[in-house]
Amino acid sequence: MASRDRDPVDVLIIGAGASGAAVAWSLAETRMRIVCMEQGDWTNPSEYPTNFPDWEQRLTERDHIDPNVRARPTDYPINNDDSPISVVNFNGVGGGTILYAAHFPRLHPSDFRVKSLDGVADDWPVDYDALEPYFAENDRMMGVSGLAGDPSYPPKQPPLPPLPLGRVGETVARGFNELGWHWWPADSAIISRPYEGRDQCKNLGPCTSGCAQGAKSSTDITYWPVALRSGVELRTRCRVREITVNADGMADGVWYYDEDGEEHHQRAEVVVLACNGVGTPRILLNSTSPEFPDGLANSSGLVGKNLMFHPVGFVQGLFEERLDSHMGPQGCCMLSNEFYETDPERDFVRGYMMQIVRGGVWPWSTAMLGARSGTIPWGPGHHEAFARRFDHTANIGILCEDLPEEHNTVTLDPELVDSDGIPAPKITYTLSENSRAMLDHGVARAKEAMLAAGAIEVTGGGPARQAGWHLLGTARMGDDPETSVVNSWGRSHDVKNLFIVDGSIFVTSGGVNPTSTIQALALYIADTMKKNLANLFD
Amino acid sequence: MNDELIASDAPFTDAQRVILGALADTLVPASDDGVMPSAKDLDLAGYLARNASDFLAELAEVLARFDDGFVSEPLDARCERMQAFSEAEPESFGRLLAEVYGCYYQDARVLEGIGVGAGPPFPRGNTVEPGDLSLLDPVLANPTNWRRDVS
Repeated sequence: MASRDRDPVDVLIIGAGASGAAVAWSLAETRMRIVCMEQGDWTNPSEYPTNFPDWEQRLTERDHIDPNVRARPTDYPINNDDSPISVVNFNGVGGGTILYAAHFPRLHPSDFRVKSLDGVADDWPVDYDALEPYFAENDRMMGVSGLAGDPSYPPKQPPLPPLPLGRVGETVARGFNELGWHWWPADSAIISRPYEGRDQCKNLGPCTSGCAQGAKSSTDITYWPVALRSGVELRTRCRVREITVNADGMADGVWYYDEDGEEHHQRAEVVVLACNGVGTPRILLNSTSPEFPDGLANSSGLVGKNLMFHPVGFVQGLFEERLDSHMGPQGCCMLSNEFYETDPERDFVRGYMMQIVRGGVWPWSTAMLGARSGTIPWGPGHHEAFARRFDHTANIGILCEDLPEEHNTVTLDPELVDSDGIPAPKITYTLSENSRAMLDHGVARAKEAMLAAGAIEVTGGGPARQAGWHLLGTARMGDDPETSVVNSWGRSHDVKNLFIVDGSIFVTSGGVNPTSTIQALALYIADTMKKNLANLFD
Repeated sequence: MNDELIASDAPFTDAQRVILGALADTLVPASDDGVMPSAKDLDLAGYLARNASDFLAELAEVLARFDDGFVSEPLDARCERMQAFSEAEPESFGRLLAEVYGCYYQDARVLEGIGVGAGPPFPRGNTVEPGDLSLLDPVLANPTNWRRDVS
């Protein structure tokens, strides 16, 4: 039975992931009553797969990165049928940071000015310089390891020394040096030394299964403990269905379902959406009313449009020598920005980052990949072939900047619903010619790098299907209400007490993993809200 | 006999377990040097019961295709029959192979044999070489390459 009018709160944050945690922590100092609603649970590190002998099995089922496979009660289904890239995520306290690789590069200064520089898409209403203090603050709060002096960025100083390169990094680095290409140890949201009560990384390997050691900086163990001690209330198993508005067209709360499926209304003075580039437009589009028949904050018609992933290609090199590929932070080794910026000599604009990956090739998965590719036979000869490949590979991920296109969308599926009956998101996405050309270029260059590094066999391609980690652009920022959903500090143009702080507000995608920038942006928005508290809705 | 063993053995008859062992040994025989065990020496029946209940009915049909004679055939003859099965029924074969590999490559003896240590990654952990950061010297010798004309 529905219940109405729980005690009103000052700020209601929806989503306890990367951005929701950061904004909750930042706003806590205002002493306002802040409640965060999260549809998932707290995770227990002692239940992460790497605690168990059958951990590879668990990655294929209850701990899968794809919510459609994982299908926990806390997940919602996603219709990916009309997309070559499917969405992967995690729903729980920490959100995607529970399962992310924690590769933590920032967007570059040029990423905020693509229209001015390259004549494509749009410039952002904020720039790198404005976000720089928040990048640094976020690095400190999360615990970021890295090496200062990267010539592909303005100066920055990670608070912790870099993670080990290992044999994979050293080997691939020699290839990049042979070609005269840029590379640098990765900025990683994984602590290389004890930090803020957490112990350092011990190189378990599969970071994307959750970190049993607690060395990976997911927000359940970074921002949230501090935010909770500061008085923020976090309610788990609360799934928001829609945001409600009053007669003045202002947001006045949300309808949500508790763990038992009971429906409740929570009143709020300010609503902050932090549900990622799929979850946020889903709620907005489901929040219809006479004043907002096409969904809340959608007078521009752009809610759910301009969905950007980062199309990802992978190249694997096989080496004679043993590289210990199965150990160490899988996604955090080194990167190359050699092809990051636009080069008019190429048949695409903008560029991509190469992410050197050491893991993802564990015993069972090595055998299965070998079976599929025909490189590791069953029967006689199996052990010899397995031994030649296992721990002898390095991988390069090619992470392409995806430019915004209105036909790439998140909409509400007309039939598919979650366990509470809320319409599921439907993804409609086409890989652009620009992204295709960029991907092909990146795969060719990565193969070149592997051969230069001494690989005896190189394979690769893309886009990878289950690689929709980065969900961006579906409620973009901008100064013009006709061409954007929120302003330069995340406030809805249409609803003055509604803010969005997740990847939805990205104007363009850049070509790097976005979590660092998402969180810096969330801190920037929270700080701007604090500076404008007296006239927040003007 | 404890409950786990009863549960593990329940899905298969003795005859089926013998054939299952022969199939497993065909897919992953012991290594010549004896370091790597045959897949037939692992608790494959128990693994399947725990992790592949949706496959058991199909597996029973697969086992029925292989008679007692298969068990006593030499490895190369069993490989020929397995190859024919893989071509005739690729989906069933693929699932069987995935399950045998899943059992095999999560077994403590096998993990010891391939040099990664028995048991789960945590809390054991691994030691990774730090790497030689002097390899960055050529990178630092190159000019800064982030785009400055952004204003």
